[in-house]
Amino acid sequence: MNATLSFEQRVRRRQHLTGAATTVGGLLVLVIGAAVVWSWRGELPDPVATHWGANGQPDGFSSLNSALAVLLGVGGLSVLFLGGLTWALGKAAATLRAMAAITVWLSVFMAILVVGSLSIQRGLSDAREVGSINGVLLVAILASIVPAILAAVAVPGDPRQPTTAPVPADAPRVKLVEGERAVWISRVGGRVALYLAVPIALTGVAVAVWFRIWPALVVDVVVIVALLTFTTFVVRVDRAGLTVRSAVGWPRYRVPLDEVVRASVTQVSPVKDFGGWGWRVDRDGRLGVVLRKGEALLVERTGGRAVVVTVDEPAKPAGLLNALADRARTGG
Amino acid sequence: MLLRLDPSADEPLFAQLVAQLRLAIAQGELRDGERLPAARELAESLEVNIHTVLRAYQELRDDGLIELRRGRGAVVAIAAKRNYSPLLKAIDAVVREARALGLSSQATAALLREAFRT
Repeated sequence: MNATLSFEQRVRRRQHLTGAATTVGGLLVLVIGAAVVWSWRGELPDPVATHWGANGQPDGFSSLNSALAVLLGVGGLSVLFLGGLTWALGKAAATLRAMAAITVWLSVFMAILVVGSLSIQRGLSDAREVGSINGVLLVAILASIVPAILAAVAVPGDPRQPTTAPVPADAPRVKLVEGERAVWISRVGGRVALYLAVPIALTGVAVAVWFRIWPALVVDVVVIVALLTFTTFVVRVDRAGLTVRSAVGWPRYRVPLDEVVRASVTQVSPVKDFGGWGWRVDRDGRLGVVLRKGEALLVERTGGRAVVVTVDEPAKPAGLLNALADRARTGG
Repeated sequence: MLLRLDPSADEPLFAQLVAQLRLAIAQGELRDGERLPAARELAESLEVNIHTVLRAYQELRDDGLIELRRGRGAVVAIAAKRNYSPLLKAIDAVVREARALGLSSQATAALLREAFRT
């Protein structure tokens, strides 16, 4: 059956399957969480505590029904929004993996937070007697990471779609003599991320110490790892094609030489074209590794896919990629 | 940074790599304190033995152009910051004149080597 499907059909099927699976899975987690809490309704105080202040004591209360409505409403809408984005834009496996991880993480985090914060109120007659929320917060942050990673791993990789069509003659090329070996390699980002990471780290530590909210330290570490992961990349063009990988090692995106349609130089504006900086996807499903405005490398790939990377002097990697693709196709 | 090796050339591969990296530093493609690619990654891309890359890195370290640090790999030495632009301009002029005379790169290089001897 699979053999009869075209490449586009397979990509679209995987895109829709991932979007649907993460939406259904995320909603299911929220519903199960709500059902567990609902089964406790006889043992919970009325109203229940739903918000905790900086001192670790509850300072916001509401009825059980409205607490559940917030979980299902806010959580459900977020999952539907993320799942819809995945359904509509998730062309590359790397994008699908990130989206699946975020959707699963969000729903599990919210479910654990609500279930956990209500489980510590079971048997209380007055919700004000409940203690600190810090333990629940810590469990929610840590326990939601594992299913998120599993969701990312479960997404199948990109199907191969090699081409033998020549690279257009007007595309830029670096001249290579016969047998010559070449690599273009560069680091992008880095500095900006470091300048951001230091104040964020200090703010996190200050908040944790000043207000005695220890889970803030964990959030701090997660934020900084995420920041470094999505703002420093190593970009390489060689006989394996184009490789863009985070300095941390993941995420990684590769365009093999036989899937290169054309590499060229383009102009990019992170906000206008991709709605922000970092590892992004635009409206057409193009992957963007965009860390500044200006010149960027554009690699068009078979199956209507494309990737944009903000590197310095993009004419060099574009020329090399086209030249290596030529060579691979002519067997020279 | 673009690095190229020609296995059919007389110059050994590690020496070609040294020359290419030196050029990248001189032209500012590799900035002060910037990390060089991991030796294993570079060896894989260029289809050479990892020791070829390490030998090139050692040569550059002996010249004071890079520093080799345990755990951090190779980084461009701050001391490598020199003003190469007058030299690069002069080389451009040499290439222009040599082309005008129809001299090959080998013949021009031979003249340069001769000039270094005095």
